[in-house]
Amino acid sequence: MNKDMREIAAGAIKIATDAGAWAAAADITSRRRVEIGYRERKPETIKESSTRDLQLSLYVDGRYSAQGTSDLRPAALKRFVTDAVAATRLIAPDPMRTLPDPKYYQGRVERDLGLVDPAYSSWTAADRHAWAKTLEAACLARGKDRLVSVSTQVSDSHVDHLRLASNGFEGVEESTFYQAVLRVTAQDQGDRRPNGFNFAVAMSRKALPSPEEIGAVAADRTLALLGAKKIKTETLPIIIENRGVDRVIGSLLEAMSGRAVQQKQSFLADKKGQRIASELLTLVDDPFVPGGLGSSLFDGEGMTAKRRVMIDAGVLKELWVSWYYSRKLGCEPTSGGSFNLLIPPGKRSVAEIMKDLGRGILITDFIGGNSNSTTGDASVGISGQLFDKGQIAHPVSEMNIAGNTLAFWSNLVEVANDPWLYGGDRYPSLVFKDVVVAGV
Amino acid sequence: MDPVTRRTFLQTTAAAATTLALPSLGKGWYALAGGAEAAYFEKEFGITDALCRKVLAQALGKGGDFAELYFEHTVSNWLGLEDGKVNRAFGQVDLGVGIRTVAGDQIGYGFTQQLDEASMLAAAATAATIASGSATTPAAALAWGKVGSFYPLDRLLSEVPLEPKVQLVQTLNERCFAGSKLIAKVTAQLHDQQKRILIVTSDGVKVEDLQPRVYLQATVVAEKDGKRERAGWNYGGRRSLSFFTPEVVADIARQATDRALIMFEAVPAPAGEVPVVLGPGVTGVLLHEAIGHGMEADFNRKGMSTYATMLGRKVAEPFVTILDDGTVPELLGAINVDDEGTPGQRTVLVDKGILTSYMHDRISARHYKVKPTGNGRRQSYQHYIQPRMRNTYMLAGPSTPEELIRQAGTGIYVQDVANGEVKIGEGDFAFYVSQGRMIQGGKLGAPIKDINIMGNGPKMLANTIGVANDFEFARQGTGACGKGGQGVPVGFGQPTILVKSLTVGGVKA
Repeated sequence: MNKDMREIAAGAIKIATDAGAWAAAADITSRRRVEIGYRERKPETIKESSTRDLQLSLYVDGRYSAQGTSDLRPAALKRFVTDAVAATRLIAPDPMRTLPDPKYYQGRVERDLGLVDPAYSSWTAADRHAWAKTLEAACLARGKDRLVSVSTQVSDSHVDHLRLASNGFEGVEESTFYQAVLRVTAQDQGDRRPNGFNFAVAMSRKALPSPEEIGAVAADRTLALLGAKKIKTETLPIIIENRGVDRVIGSLLEAMSGRAVQQKQSFLADKKGQRIASELLTLVDDPFVPGGLGSSLFDGEGMTAKRRVMIDAGVLKELWVSWYYSRKLGCEPTSGGSFNLLIPPGKRSVAEIMKDLGRGILITDFIGGNSNSTTGDASVGISGQLFDKGQIAHPVSEMNIAGNTLAFWSNLVEVANDPWLYGGDRYPSLVFKDVVVAGV
Repeated sequence: MDPVTRRTFLQTTAAAATTLALPSLGKGWYALAGGAEAAYFEKEFGITDALCRKVLAQALGKGGDFAELYFEHTVSNWLGLEDGKVNRAFGQVDLGVGIRTVAGDQIGYGFTQQLDEASMLAAAATAATIASGSATTPAAALAWGKVGSFYPLDRLLSEVPLEPKVQLVQTLNERCFAGSKLIAKVTAQLHDQQKRILIVTSDGVKVEDLQPRVYLQATVVAEKDGKRERAGWNYGGRRSLSFFTPEVVADIARQATDRALIMFEAVPAPAGEVPVVLGPGVTGVLLHEAIGHGMEADFNRKGMSTYATMLGRKVAEPFVTILDDGTVPELLGAINVDDEGTPGQRTVLVDKGILTSYMHDRISARHYKVKPTGNGRRQSYQHYIQPRMRNTYMLAGPSTPEELIRQAGTGIYVQDVANGEVKIGEGDFAFYVSQGRMIQGGKLGAPIKDINIMGNGPKMLANTIGVANDFEFARQGTGACGKGGQGVPVGFGQPTILVKSLTVGGVKA
């Protein structure tokens, strides 16, 4: 912990309350980040930075504003906070807007969430270069002359975060973060040059796959796109690959926020306690996953984190309700956002499931698309592999799936056994029946 | 979470045909054109020529072709209305300098939020590590470079008091509710941002700019027979706050409420390949995705783009001309100067059907042995330059919109586009249609909504079989383009066009 962080945060709160604020909270974040990119076996980019930012929530005469600055020079900060308090007085009062009741700060049990890699300080510039070179070499070795371009990027961060609130909350978090990314281009027929990628993110280096593996998989994923075709529009079972599940589950999650419900922008507004998906869908929000990218002991407002089953065997159990929207809705708050989302894995591998299904599409990437949280209507472009008689037949691209989110999730027919551990949320591959896949 | 940043629109909202013209441009009293009125960073933060030369010398301490300093001071404000009151305000101040050293196609980058000599020298030393030779020397003297004047303000955004801004948002709310008894909820927001930049290059050029950005937005939820629909609308750009006259505010409210109400009549869209007519304005997102990104020179230099070997080729019918233009006054993608000091300008991408030029920053221009096109842009001082679009649009053609709809016969009419994405190498793109119409018997039919439409860039260009005479710029203030983890404001324009076939992601097999 940067030792003057607490001083700056406490100082900013004092300036605010001295200027007449009824209450205030300060979040201060210090971040060091290093990024190295390689291409054609030499560094393409080297970037290094240290930043420190302050975010203030101000509660003044029943009014609310939030202000951020990176200019932390004492005189500049004093002027900034004083001006912000004065400006807050000019907007309309909002009686629902207060700091959380301190009872929601209670019950926090300090424990090690595995967010700091003890080896971080020994990670040198030479190590970073070696990783980036190995990623590239492994990818090129696998893809050989079929690859047109390989760019790799290795980055790491060290982050300190402190939150202080004038009604008694104090919380600190320290984390480290490693990321490896490859962007790969292969030559296909004509002017088509499929772009593939692979990435892995983890809080400690030990939790990452080896750079050899990440690089080779990047080449494999790209080469698998060669010769993609669009097939005729067909109603098929689809398998959404584990790392792509976040893209389709978003339309469900967006409607599960207290704000969406209170603002009548959620198709789930009156569905709490009801079946909203196939009974195969259970969704857990777990703040305590060791080394989880979203792990934390408290939420963004300082409310103590709890493990929650959000959807239990298809039944909507909870919403993400911040303190403010809990007051507007007249319900208990849960948390302003999710921590680590998990879907408990099933028993069979994707290969076994494919064999059983016979014909269908394994979706490995998406393009465009969006959803309407008010109605649940959604539509998104897909690409992946057509399988037939249980075997991969050929890649497909420029196709689309669409429908209402509730109908789509009621067609979930199996959960695979393969949660992906190198992104944020940890989802296994999911199987849906009777999906109209639009093509030719 | 997907840390692999792809080229996606972050938050364009829908738009469509309106008959409002661009406001006439007076020469504002405040126009930074270099020279006497400039030197904001020297006055406010003590950034002198001598200091800049010292930091540039450090950045070139191990050699390199050139280096530049990018100073930024940005003040952003949001006012939000929910449940009838403007009861939340958000503000953000960003201050810092980014230092880039370029050696061939290699980039070293450091940045600091502290504008003191020691912090800047340390950041410059980081940037310098990309090179490994002997020091090169920056120009002996710095002189103000030329910049355009495409967004003069009648009043600095920072000098407009809060009260009239609050009133603007409050009025928009009332206008929305007055529009229909079916409106159940309204949220509204006003965003204003004033970004001041100073760019100093080791070639001896310095330029300053003040880039304003505003938008006023309403989102409404309507309820009818137990069903709910939502729609939003906004106007904005690089404009003064005086742009938001009572008429403009009323228009935003009308556009948002009309769109929400018509959705109750929507029918399911078909699935599969059909002719698609794109209405004028914001449907230019199609150009941004289908051809724009693929013409950014970095993707071509690296062989990553489907357009990498197409320069000089016929890619479309002779009535198709596509531009990327930083000089369209007050549009969101207007830039007086790009973020590495090249003056704002316009670039012809497709000239009467022939692919003519990529969009360049300094690095790619050197690679292709051409002049930079003023497309070197970045999100902030924390980011290095990439070739990026500005305002991308297609010029008007010979047909009328009615002719194109008739010619389509049976298909889809696209009115509002919410977002899009492209895969550069394949050329496959998608855009999300928040609202449109069926076309049946050569006429507009029932409304449709929430469908993704997909195509392939080069195929789409070749299949553009009609271009109408109703060209229009989108006047939204929220168009942001994402690439390589950086967002920059961009604009669009397009006449009505007819594409022979695209894949419509509906539900009716």
